[in-house]
Amino acid sequence: MRVEVLFPEIANLYGELGNIKYLEKSVPDIYVKETSVNEKPAFLDSNEESFDLVYMGTMSESSQLLVMEKLAPYREEIISSIENGQRILVTGNALEIFGKSISDDTGEKQQCLGIFDFHTERKMMKRFNSLYLGKYGDIDVAGYKSQFTHSFYDDGSLKPLFMTERGPGFNPDVKEEGIRYKNFMATYVIGPLFIINPPLMTAILKEAGIEAEPAFKDAAMDAYRSRIAEYGNPKTGFYY
Amino acid sequence: MGKLRFAIALAAAKLSVIALKITKRNGTNFPGVVAIRICPDFLKYINRPEKIIAVTGTNGKTTVSNLLRDVLAQAGKTVLNNGLGSNIASGIATCLISGVNIFNVEKYKAAVLEVDERSALRIFPYVKPDWMIVTNLSRDSIMRNAHPEYIRKILEDNIPPETKLILNADDLLSAGIAPKNERVYFGIEKMEGDAQESVNLINDMQICPRCHTKLKYEYVRYSSIGKAYCPRCDFRSPEYDYAAYNVDVRSMSMDIRTGDESEHFSLMNEGTFNIYNQVTVITAMHELGYSLSEIKGFMSKVDIVKTRYNVTERGDRTVTMLLSKDKNAYAGSRVFEYIASQPGDKEVILMMNCLGDVKHWSENTCWLYDCDFEFLNGHGIKHIIVTGPREKDYKLRLLMAGVPEDIISACEKETDAPGLLRLFENDNIYILYGTDSIALAGKVKAGVIAAIGEEGTK
Repeated sequence: MRVEVLFPEIANLYGELGNIKYLEKSVPDIYVKETSVNEKPAFLDSNEESFDLVYMGTMSESSQLLVMEKLAPYREEIISSIENGQRILVTGNALEIFGKSISDDTGEKQQCLGIFDFHTERKMMKRFNSLYLGKYGDIDVAGYKSQFTHSFYDDGSLKPLFMTERGPGFNPDVKEEGIRYKNFMATYVIGPLFIINPPLMTAILKEAGIEAEPAFKDAAMDAYRSRIAEYGNPKTGFYY
Repeated sequence: MGKLRFAIALAAAKLSVIALKITKRNGTNFPGVVAIRICPDFLKYINRPEKIIAVTGTNGKTTVSNLLRDVLAQAGKTVLNNGLGSNIASGIATCLISGVNIFNVEKYKAAVLEVDERSALRIFPYVKPDWMIVTNLSRDSIMRNAHPEYIRKILEDNIPPETKLILNADDLLSAGIAPKNERVYFGIEKMEGDAQESVNLINDMQICPRCHTKLKYEYVRYSSIGKAYCPRCDFRSPEYDYAAYNVDVRSMSMDIRTGDESEHFSLMNEGTFNIYNQVTVITAMHELGYSLSEIKGFMSKVDIVKTRYNVTERGDRTVTMLLSKDKNAYAGSRVFEYIASQPGDKEVILMMNCLGDVKHWSENTCWLYDCDFEFLNGHGIKHIIVTGPREKDYKLRLLMAGVPEDIISACEKETDAPGLLRLFENDNIYILYGTDSIALAGKVKAGVIAAIGEEGTK
């Protein structure tokens, strides 16, 4: 398996690189390329062997600006790559880079890559903290959200990555969460998504044609089943 | 209307102080809560000492604030201080209430106030410090503090322009704060054990803030604490106005240099973060007008408060209680690193679950993957007990860190943990607890002591 991690020096705010470490422990013969922010993403390089997964995690607001500036020259190549089926997973506020714009409550509006038809609204003095419980197909997904933003679908044809059971979706008014377009996947669920959800990781690997058992399967599944039960318990509060 | 409301608020707050004394409930911020509820801009009207030193930052602010207060006391200056209360707006109000009489006449000439970073926006519009110490900025609670840049922005938006800053040159996340303010920098020159590449999972200063080239470090201690430079442009860590050098934890001493002055000091604690705390206080005292020689004299009579660390010996074994702030990966990594650095065979009980979260929702465990659990793999650690609501998450994290499964034990109930101890000869047992599990940790410690006693009688 070949994985490219985009900008790990800045896009790893909430333990997201744990996902890559978990892949490394779960998948034999894995190659991980870490691409720094001053480099062109390798998955756009026609001389590079193809990647099974490209990953980018959560970052600070100033890092978002930097990443947008660095990726803007490659916008058309990124679109073409997504259309050709490149498997990409972006988590947390990394997803906002692929939308149309981010509006601040100060009135400032930042244009983003505009690849997908949604926009983001940000309130820097309001932190939205919650647990998350949803479905990826028939797979239960648990996780955390902690963000200053919400995003809004502007095009009804955009498909979500998860369907929400408890907690906020893409924004608190919708059950749809994230984006799934061909093999592009985006979610606001932050941090060690794969570690907390071994069945999700296994399913995404399977879609990429890779059969692998999650590392430390017994311990990981034990923690997963406990969490799903805990989050499914109506007595468990969901908002901080 | 404002002043009348303030007078009523002050009177009510003073009455609440009397009520708290009668009911023997000291150390709360209740008077400040009462005052601000009656008069929302209470801090605007209450009189305060002529000189105010504020202490903020992610880590070390309580230690620095308490130490500065104690060293000033040795210099004959009794200062107003919120060491017994909280560091948010109501805590600051409570502290200032204790500094005035019922007629709002100030009793103190100076104050050392520990200020919560996020509360800056509610405090600094009214209480304008003459000096502000920023110990450092690092990752903290994801829910509350988001990330260090966010906290830096809050501070920058609220630090009064006239405040002189005392900053850590070795922490680039805070060193560049409020660039227009007058400032001095302290730092520690190269120490034994320094590296040139950070080994920690948290490293938030990897690229040059100007040209985004990967930074290089002349030396780095943990995360991004050290002296950095950009190999491409002229960006580099600030020069030290106050430099610690010849730091030697074997002889427990260091030298401090500022301008043409230098002095030899005894170290108060061998932990690097506490050496920074001591250097911070020396810098602040010098800025207040004392010579290094005078500061050395004052400092020799005080100690760093050890409430977060205590050791009990039982026969050939030790039991050490260590506060490891819950949901704080940065603090956890320092604690794990400390345990790894200690000699001998060890057993560790991990119980830093956030018990407050259990009552309301479920703890966000992202921090586990920012925290260097890898320090618990090897280093004489022969057994680890994971316990509490997140025992299963701890176990998985330890496996990810390479800890063999056969040396991990688990139990849901913390007080069952002592029963799982393996009690090796010359064992050193560490109990790691969070800020809201102090009482529970005390029970676990009692269980450990009892287990050692029972084992000794077998």
